[in-house]
Amino acid sequence: MPPRPRIAVYWTGGCGGCDVSFLELGPALLDVLAQIEIAFWPALVDTKRSDVEALAPRSIAATLVNGTLRTEENVEMVHLLREKSELVVAFGACAYQGGVPGLANLATRDEILRRMSGNGFRPSPPPGGEAEDAPPGLLPQAKSLADEITVDYVVPGCPPMPPLIGLLLGALLSGDLPAPGHVFAHDKALCEECPRTREERKLTKVVRPHELVPDPNVCLLDQGMICLGPVTRGGCGAACPKAGMPCTGCVGPTPNAGDPGLAMISALGSLARAGEEGPGAFAAEDRLLDALVDPLGTFYKYSLPAYVRTGKRSDR
Amino acid sequence: MPETPFEPKIVAFLCRWCAGAGADLAGTSRIAYPANAVPIRVNCSGRVEPEWVMEAFRSGADGVFIGGCHPGDCHYVSGNYKTRRRIYLLKKLLAEMGIEPERVRLEWVSATEGAKYARVMKEFVAELKRLGPLHLEREEKTMPASPVLPRVGS
Repeated sequence: MPPRPRIAVYWTGGCGGCDVSFLELGPALLDVLAQIEIAFWPALVDTKRSDVEALAPRSIAATLVNGTLRTEENVEMVHLLREKSELVVAFGACAYQGGVPGLANLATRDEILRRMSGNGFRPSPPPGGEAEDAPPGLLPQAKSLADEITVDYVVPGCPPMPPLIGLLLGALLSGDLPAPGHVFAHDKALCEECPRTREERKLTKVVRPHELVPDPNVCLLDQGMICLGPVTRGGCGAACPKAGMPCTGCVGPTPNAGDPGLAMISALGSLARAGEEGPGAFAAEDRLLDALVDPLGTFYKYSLPAYVRTGKRSDR
Repeated sequence: MPETPFEPKIVAFLCRWCAGAGADLAGTSRIAYPANAVPIRVNCSGRVEPEWVMEAFRSGADGVFIGGCHPGDCHYVSGNYKTRRRIYLLKKLLAEMGIEPERVRLEWVSATEGAKYARVMKEFVAELKRLGPLHLEREEKTMPASPVLPRVGS
């Protein structure tokens, strides 16, 4: 029996939901904990950065990083953990593609600091504190983990769902590891596992979730909700569509979809109808599509840093 | 000021039935128009994926032109209508990204409209000169395989 593998879990710019998501494993979590040794997990055990620094290189079997990279400290920590780890896993939507905090890339760092703290704000130590007590500097943009270090595997989701966490833990504990770069979710679209039926194949209106109590059996896109199911990986069991909410794409796009926003534009362009197609319908079609008020935020809710390099920048 | 004036790079997707024939007519009629566009013939403007437009920008284009058949003339009945809705949405997305939507231009050009093709291309070049260059750099990822940013054709 080999020694129990050392596992680390670290959070960068996240909400803590990924750390909590392990609890969804239920009693199975106890079996997992019995088979591993926790090397570092700030949310769970009292280990310090100095404990990690003291470890030999590659002595952690796997480090699961959740959260977007937003501060200089985040970057330092993930480089340190990369050095000490055999495998690094991007855990959750933020580490995978930037996540919800990545939407901040639509504003420059200066705009964010001014908005949050007023004109002329500079990070400084607390009164009477040492210089090193100052908050870490904010990066110019939020980044995904792979922007900074080599990532071996991905467990997507916001937060990752128990079946997907189970796939990763199963691979780590059995030692039966997939090829580097593997994403622990399905390659097929979420629609494949959605129980709703698709009949219309037309988008005749666009409604937001609060504007409609959807029919429980009919495809949400058919009912006018912008559901990202067609371009999003399955694996979550279509949890949101089953509950009457459109998929917002937290598991990330299927390998075939590529850029989720552009794939959705292609799909919605085909589906949208405002009466008989032709010049007479153009104005009505435009009004229909205008009801999709924020395409960028809708299509890249969890992935803006991964796909949109072009947002507002200080040098543009 | 740069020594040489800015010459915008344009990728032009032209449908083979109408706009492509129109562009050919502009040439065989010896109508002078700016040589900024690299034409790519496609069977239908409806085949032009939004992904291709962004790929053109990422590859260094300052503008993307899409030429299709006039309404009612599409060889495939409704490909141009799909294109129109896609480009409408894409422009909304570009505006949110901080890219001027005017960098994408959709025009209906029939096979007899060589003069129109030359005119809209002149207008487009002038518009892009006014907007200036678009620098959309690619950034390489350190992911071993590339599940993060799949490329066209991958």
